[in-house]
Amino acid sequence: MLARDADIVIIGSGAGGGTVASELAPLCSQGVRVVVLEAGPKLTAQDYTGREVEMARRLYTDEGGFLTEDRAMSIAFGRAYGGSTVVYTGTSLTMTEAALRRWDVPGLEHGDIVERSRKYLEQNRVHLLPEEDINDNNRLFEEGCRALGYRVEQFPLNLDGCRGAGICNLGCPNGAKMGTHRVQLPEAERQGVQVVTNCRVDRIDDRAVVATVSERAFGEPSRWPPGEYRIGAKAVVVAGGAIGSSALLLRSPVAAGLPALGRYFTCHPALILVAQHDRPITNYHGHPKSYYSDHFAERDGFLLETCMYFPFTTAKSLTGFGAEHARMMSAMDRLQMILVLAIDPPEADNRVVVDAAGQPVVRYRFADGVRRALVQAMQASARIFFAGGAARVHAPAARQFFIDAAEANRIDELIPFDGLKLGKVTISSAHPMGGCRMGADPSGSVTDAWGRVHGVPWLFVADGSLFPRCAEINPYVTIMALADRAAERVRREWPHLQAHAAAPRDNRAPA
Amino acid sequence: MAQSPSLTSGERAILLTIAPRIVPASAAMSPATGETMMQLIGETLVSRTPAMRRQWRVFLAVLRWAPFFRYLRPLERLDGLRQDAVLRWFQDHRLQVIRGGFWGVRTLVLLGYYGQPGTGSSIAYTPSLDGNGVLRARARR
Repeated sequence: MLARDADIVIIGSGAGGGTVASELAPLCSQGVRVVVLEAGPKLTAQDYTGREVEMARRLYTDEGGFLTEDRAMSIAFGRAYGGSTVVYTGTSLTMTEAALRRWDVPGLEHGDIVERSRKYLEQNRVHLLPEEDINDNNRLFEEGCRALGYRVEQFPLNLDGCRGAGICNLGCPNGAKMGTHRVQLPEAERQGVQVVTNCRVDRIDDRAVVATVSERAFGEPSRWPPGEYRIGAKAVVVAGGAIGSSALLLRSPVAAGLPALGRYFTCHPALILVAQHDRPITNYHGHPKSYYSDHFAERDGFLLETCMYFPFTTAKSLTGFGAEHARMMSAMDRLQMILVLAIDPPEADNRVVVDAAGQPVVRYRFADGVRRALVQAMQASARIFFAGGAARVHAPAARQFFIDAAEANRIDELIPFDGLKLGKVTISSAHPMGGCRMGADPSGSVTDAWGRVHGVPWLFVADGSLFPRCAEINPYVTIMALADRAAERVRREWPHLQAHAAAPRDNRAPA
Repeated sequence: MAQSPSLTSGERAILLTIAPRIVPASAAMSPATGETMMQLIGETLVSRTPAMRRQWRVFLAVLRWAPFFRYLRPLERLDGLRQDAVLRWFQDHRLQVIRGGFWGVRTLVLLGYYGQPGTGSSIAYTPSLDGNGVLRARARR
């Protein structure tokens, strides 16, 4: 095993790790060695081909099809220089006060989250798209919501130079998305932070990280040669995402004793709903996600967002097969899409565990309220589609493949609550959260309100795994705000962490 | 033409039986397109855990032989309507694990067909790096 020494090791380079890297980068000028270990590759401009399957293989864990243990849901999360910020759509919302109040973390105030979020909204050049860049798919959603009296808002987006390629989830081929791969990481590297890609962290030992660097057929070569490494560190910041961070800590003896570790996993279970118009509309040209509606969030527990996906993802999202399925797929330029996100409750038994090989396994049971919300969301979406002029709608829980416009007055009857059959309907998630939740009590949480792991003063978490319950919005800005707090804590504690590292090894210091 | 190394000839045969029922247009695929489909499916399976690959193989065998109990023939020897009925039986089965197994097979067939870049133009999917330019050109019309 090869030995390396660092002062601060950051594991992961997405919204969490990329933020921490940029916030700790100024320490490099004082001689502090900061290293980021990223499991995924750093793609070159030529690697962004826009081809659906190829890009899914390059940028996502399990090609975007990581399945829960019971196979009822797939979870998409990025694995690249920039993590999931390479593959999100750039929707940049600040967490609401009501949602943060439900988190109920002593020492975590909404004003603080708002202030830190604002910093990243500016850094990432967040703005609203001009009207001429909004396509029919988005405009019809907005018009449909307004016609029905549903609250609808435009998404603030973190784009610079967007040309509307419309394939944000496959990595922007125009390099327009202001993720950590474009903003925070390059700046951190300029100041001296070292980013090691293609580096999978196997476990965390006492102030050391054991990792393996491998080669890939695409992307830039890693900064370190292939091999197994043991990297000494005075502080370690884990930011591998809700699933990756939870699994890593479960594999690591230093943190494995915490009873809440891996638990309270939430993920905004989602459905892609599709309607067909009788004429071509503009849908896959232009940014895919310009509007959302939180009209039903408080009362019914779901959010609606515009979206536009690619042929395979669209085909997979439809239920059924054969002639009807083919009819829907025959003309992608007539499709309108809505993404439904359920606001799922934190439950101790919804959790990340590791299998015998140390690989993450997600155990997730759909709460009755989540199932109900998904069906209600299908009904609401069908109304929006028809209000926007759609000729027919496909709802995965419906009694029939198509609901025609003439049947629009029978939506509740045609989309029954018992129609949502797990295993039959394609349910996906792109917002994994929790598993290393913040809190004051070590028996019910993993870290304190600043991301420091209970009882391990040199170990921090800085990603979506910190969420004690779901964010009720697209989470990346909140992740950056929490990572900013974790980085501040590391900076503040740095003299103490250095001194602690020099003292005899006592892994479990008093909390 | 090289065959996808991760799929056995039996697995390929059952996939070729099922594919036209899932995606009718796949019945008219060229041999090269059919091979690309198998390649995409095979590569996806290779990246999964051994346990998942085992489950896939078992489920394919179940899919093939389950009709024997009703029709005294395996799936590939039924006519199209009966094959559809069998697949629907799996899709709507009362047990989630059976429904999930069919979902997995269906998803891989859809991946093999719609995941091919060449399919786009046949379904009016022709994205552009300059989508905003397309929007503006259409607005001017």
